[in-house]
Amino acid sequence: MPPFPILISNISKVYETVKVRVVALQDVSLRFEEGVFAAVTGASGSGKSTLLNLLGGLDTPTSGTIEVRGKKISEMSREELALYRRSQVGMIFQSFNLIPGFSALENVALPLVFSGIAKRERRKRAGEVLAQLGLEARTAHRPSELSGGEQQRVAIARALVNRPRVLLADEPTGNLDSRTSREIVTLLAELNRNQGLTVIMVTHEESLAREFAGRSVRLSDGKVQAEERWR
Amino acid sequence: MNFRDHIELSLANLWKRKLRTSLTAFGVTIGIGALVSMVSFGKGMQKNVTESFRSLDLFNSLTVFSEGFMAGERFDPDRQPVEALPSEASLAILDEAALEKIAALRGVDTVFPEIRIPAIVRFEGKDEFRLIQVVPAKVTSSRMLRYSSGKGYASDEEDSLVVTESLLRQLGVSEPQAALGQKIIISSIAFDFSRFNPADLTAALSGERLPFSTEDTELTIAGVAESQAFAGPFPIQSDVFIPPGVSKRMKKLPFSNVWDIFRAREGRLGYSALNVRLSSPAFVEPVRKEITGMGLRVFALADQFKEIQRGFLILNMVLAAVGMIAIVVASLGIVNTMVMSILERYSEIGIMKAVGAGDRDIRRIFFFESSVIGLIGGVFGFAMGWAVSGIINRIVNYFLAKQGVPYIPYFSFPVWLALGAIAFSVGVSLAAGVYPAMRAARVDPVRALRPD
Repeated sequence: MPPFPILISNISKVYETVKVRVVALQDVSLRFEEGVFAAVTGASGSGKSTLLNLLGGLDTPTSGTIEVRGKKISEMSREELALYRRSQVGMIFQSFNLIPGFSALENVALPLVFSGIAKRERRKRAGEVLAQLGLEARTAHRPSELSGGEQQRVAIARALVNRPRVLLADEPTGNLDSRTSREIVTLLAELNRNQGLTVIMVTHEESLAREFAGRSVRLSDGKVQAEERWR
Repeated sequence: MNFRDHIELSLANLWKRKLRTSLTAFGVTIGIGALVSMVSFGKGMQKNVTESFRSLDLFNSLTVFSEGFMAGERFDPDRQPVEALPSEASLAILDEAALEKIAALRGVDTVFPEIRIPAIVRFEGKDEFRLIQVVPAKVTSSRMLRYSSGKGYASDEEDSLVVTESLLRQLGVSEPQAALGQKIIISSIAFDFSRFNPADLTAALSGERLPFSTEDTELTIAGVAESQAFAGPFPIQSDVFIPPGVSKRMKKLPFSNVWDIFRAREGRLGYSALNVRLSSPAFVEPVRKEITGMGLRVFALADQFKEIQRGFLILNMVLAAVGMIAIVVASLGIVNTMVMSILERYSEIGIMKAVGAGDRDIRRIFFFESSVIGLIGGVFGFAMGWAVSGIINRIVNYFLAKQGVPYIPYFSFPVWLALGAIAFSVGVSLAAGVYPAMRAARVDPVRALRPD
């Protein structure tokens, strides 16, 4: 199968209300090769989360096009975007965003609910992914009964359960101590290396980015300030 | 998302907020309960009337009048223009010939003239004045008369009669059933020309020395009828019924009221009306047509029944409208609960969207939740309406029974009411869920997932 790069062409994102007009991204063009582990860095407000939300299909650009695995997601309808989110990408967040009332297993199985997969199959697949990430003993626990690192791993399991080719991580270590942070980023790097998963990670920790990512993009005031490639 | 997941998810969500869910569903319960009792009351009343019409055979009964006087319609001041009165010659008189002609029509079961004889009823020394109705034996053993003891007289010639319980009570009989087989005296008024002195006309004209006498006829009580007795479609109750043969032998006036004399043609009185009983309600129209063709007027209680039905339709609508107020209030409760739920589950909705839920999925989740509230409210509401109506029915009947009113079920619960109430409840809840569901579907995941 020929490699599919993620192509971002001249995208802008402008948030407009009656009183204010915020330009979050301004004429950004980027290319991420398939299988890359890329870090997106920059100060807060630089537009890095906005970029990730656009790639994740949670939001649409004001102008410009985004192409993921040969599909122009910037032109998709709301229902098409939902399908894209559930089949093509997985997302993890700084605050984990697990549903508090659900067990780890139920949280991981949630994306499969919207794919219309039967309950028994959902539980089986969610269990497998949790086991892969070393959480087999935690399946019945609620998020509040898990440590921060465990919660983020449950979130990663949830992002992987639909077997996407792209994993988007928005400040995944922002709520974790440095040791746990290293563990999580190591896990992402392993998934990238062993499964060929494209990983795009937004972070403000330059050192982690430098250590694990293959390349980095630095944003500033909604524009690409610098691009670096190490390996 | 499949159906089962929707059900499980909405039940889980509702269960998580047990108190609010049950309060909201209770609101719906009250609304549906009120609607159900209202409608079942209207339906119950309608059913009672329909059934009494049916049990008294009023659907297959007609009353025939002669055209002209007593017709009523001709004097209706609201009716314009007034129809031209038919010429005297074309007016048919209700005599034996007309009766026989009607009796021969297809579908006619029995015809008997409406004859009520003013008389004194005497039993064990006590008197009561009554209009005695002349009714064929066949009719006294029909559904029109219901007996608390005994039965109708066997033939039209038998020297017996049927009296109602209430008349016997008024005559001082404490146990009307025991009066069966005893003798009653009917004292009727007759012309007595031996008392008439042509030389002294002025006295008679001024009401003195009237040429009347009374005649006693002794009859045996064959049956004691229930208190309210109808023996014909003519909507007047009677207390005493005698066979035609006895009536013929009795000395009596040839008319029972002055109207009969006004109605007379060429010196002939005829009958004031004929009671016609048909073998089935299906014959009402064809027989009516035939009789009208004979120059006679027909009155059918079935026509009145249509009016009554229309009245009930209006009553039911008014009752339903009152019930609807409670439903509207309850549906506002649903809207409130669901909107609150969106606010609480704002980030949860964002998470669902982030992991691949479409607008449609989110909309359906909310629709399912509100329809489950509606279903619970509908089922319990019907049960509540049923229970409350049952209690009211018992209380009302308890007090009415003390006054001698027989038991009447005031409420009616047909199957369609149960199913309709539940379906309606779900439907209203779905409608109440439209706005919250739309709003939930439009939640912006980026905003919902922002860590603040």
